[in-house]
Amino acid sequence: MTLLAEFVKEQRQTKSILLMTHVIYGYPSIDESLQMMKTLLDKGAAILEVQFPFSDPVADGPVITKACHIALQSKPKLKQCITDIAALAKDYPNARVLLMSYLNPLVQYGFEQLASDMSGKIAGIVIPDLPIDHHKMAAPLVAANVDPIWLIIPGMEKSRIQLVSEHAQGLLYCVSRKGVTGQGSDSQSAHDELQRYLGEINQYTDVPLALGFGIASAQDVEGIVGLVDVAVVGSAFLRAFQHGGMAEFAEKADELLSVK
Amino acid sequence: MSDQGYFGQYGGSFIPEILYSSQQELLKHYREAMADPSFIAKVKQEMQQYSGRPTPLTFCANLTEQMGGAQIYLKREDLNHSGAHKMNNVIGQGLLTKRMGKKRVIAETGAGQHGVATALISARLGLECTIYMGAHDIERQYPNVFWMKQLGATVIPVTTGSQTLTDALDEALRDWTSSYEDTHYLIGTSCGCEPFPEMVAGFQSVIGEEVKEQAMAQFGAMPDKIYACVGGGSNACGIMLPFVGTETELIGIEAGGRGDGIGEHAMRFNNDQAKFGISQGYATKFIQDDQGQLAPTHSISAGLDYVGVSPILADLADRGLVRMTSANDEEVIAALKTMIRAEGIIPALESSHAIAGGLREAAELDSSQRIVINISGRGDKDIFTIAKALDDQPFNDFLRSYLAQGK
Repeated sequence: MTLLAEFVKEQRQTKSILLMTHVIYGYPSIDESLQMMKTLLDKGAAILEVQFPFSDPVADGPVITKACHIALQSKPKLKQCITDIAALAKDYPNARVLLMSYLNPLVQYGFEQLASDMSGKIAGIVIPDLPIDHHKMAAPLVAANVDPIWLIIPGMEKSRIQLVSEHAQGLLYCVSRKGVTGQGSDSQSAHDELQRYLGEINQYTDVPLALGFGIASAQDVEGIVGLVDVAVVGSAFLRAFQHGGMAEFAEKADELLSVK
Repeated sequence: MSDQGYFGQYGGSFIPEILYSSQQELLKHYREAMADPSFIAKVKQEMQQYSGRPTPLTFCANLTEQMGGAQIYLKREDLNHSGAHKMNNVIGQGLLTKRMGKKRVIAETGAGQHGVATALISARLGLECTIYMGAHDIERQYPNVFWMKQLGATVIPVTTGSQTLTDALDEALRDWTSSYEDTHYLIGTSCGCEPFPEMVAGFQSVIGEEVKEQAMAQFGAMPDKIYACVGGGSNACGIMLPFVGTETELIGIEAGGRGDGIGEHAMRFNNDQAKFGISQGYATKFIQDDQGQLAPTHSISAGLDYVGVSPILADLADRGLVRMTSANDEEVIAALKTMIRAEGIIPALESSHAIAGGLREAAELDSSQRIVINISGRGDKDIFTIAKALDDQPFNDFLRSYLAQGK
């Protein structure tokens, strides 16, 4: 078991579900995004996913895409981003920090360099446009104990779930429904289907499961307690910030973290 | 063609997992269709009876004399139905969509030529059609948008990023992630994940195959050089691939734009601002900054300002099998004017890049040599841009009085 998986299992002894929160590095500015990250960690978020913005985020919906484009105006550097979030990880030893980035910025940085800069500081990485078929690209990260967090989606063939499971470590990111991020929440009637879906994944792996896409309220989080270890909240924080600034962002964090 | 859609180090499939099964389905149907003679026959029939193929190979006596060098021929893709080579690809993919049993197509478009071609074939085949187009391109190419709408297509303006082709492509990919069950993503150029580069280049290769036959029939030899403009690369792939590895030299002409700075051109070759990268589902040379962010581009022609390029062409250029050069906005306007006056042919601004590249070299060649320039599309659609570039005041007066009459 990797350090990230151990962390999740340990935290789960006292919490019914963990929250994986999402902030875009550089949105609306680098300082403000760092402030958002600190707010979430101060309030007890167990996992913080920091998205390094990319010009062409094809797996993200309109809310995150627009925010990424705004973030890019402050010309964020991946090296500084890693330095900044590694410092946060050090300051908040009771939480884990993950990097999320599309492939191209990582390819330009180099996977060896990335592995060496992240090792021991940043627990894992989400790369939405890296299919499992190219898992070898992430090998330097695996060797440096940085867990690549692979995706499982509804309707995935058994053989492919099995393939992902073979490479899964740290955390498996299960997509709750088809489509891109941040477009409303699941219908209530989907609960049974969700249970079957997650049950199938559990047949192949004992890596902790995170469920994401469309989780926006405490009610949504409560609805999946007992089904998964981690609830991933993406664009809900962003929307809260856009609607009511840092105050509403903090309120959203309080709401979502109220599920113990 | 190498394994899994690779062309040297370029190509491949780097798509969000959500698209994996629909990509696999497309791959399977595409392979089956290409092995089915009745499908190939149907594509050929539509190309002939709907689009008007074969398109002619036109000798330019006046231009040849003016340049005083090589014999100049034009491959007339402008004479396709829809006025551009884009029709070749949409016929192939449209019929494939029907074969897969899908009811809807989505497409990205830059200049709007691919959007119009997609809307045309959708009307003919009874497919629902949604076109993603950058808001900036819509401003430049409204006449195409008008026709797409008349043809029953839904045109969605893309307001993110640079609001051009790249962003339209991102948005179409997003649509596909939530609609793949009944929708085919009808990519307009030989880019994207496997099998799109191969498939689009394959349907376009009818251009080069015809040139081979026509060259033999008209002058009993193969052309010495072939020139094509390179945006995404579909017309270049189409005319060039049948000639790869032959004695014919292949020359691609990119958009030199208005300068060498970032955001002033769309040169993916011979340019340090373009490097190997992975985005939009595939690996190729992308114009990008040191952080791997794709860069803004510019061209006088909306069809050439793409930030990436066909992985097939990136590989051929690396292997020295295609020579890449560029023409800037000014050279392009000059070439366009020359062509219109000399031969009575109005080429698209995209195609005028190929003309600029071809004419630049024609004069240096011997009169025993023959060059073919691919006229990928006709220029009627560019009337607003060209009238502006030529500073034609009466055109502005016309627009004012046209608007005044409408009140």
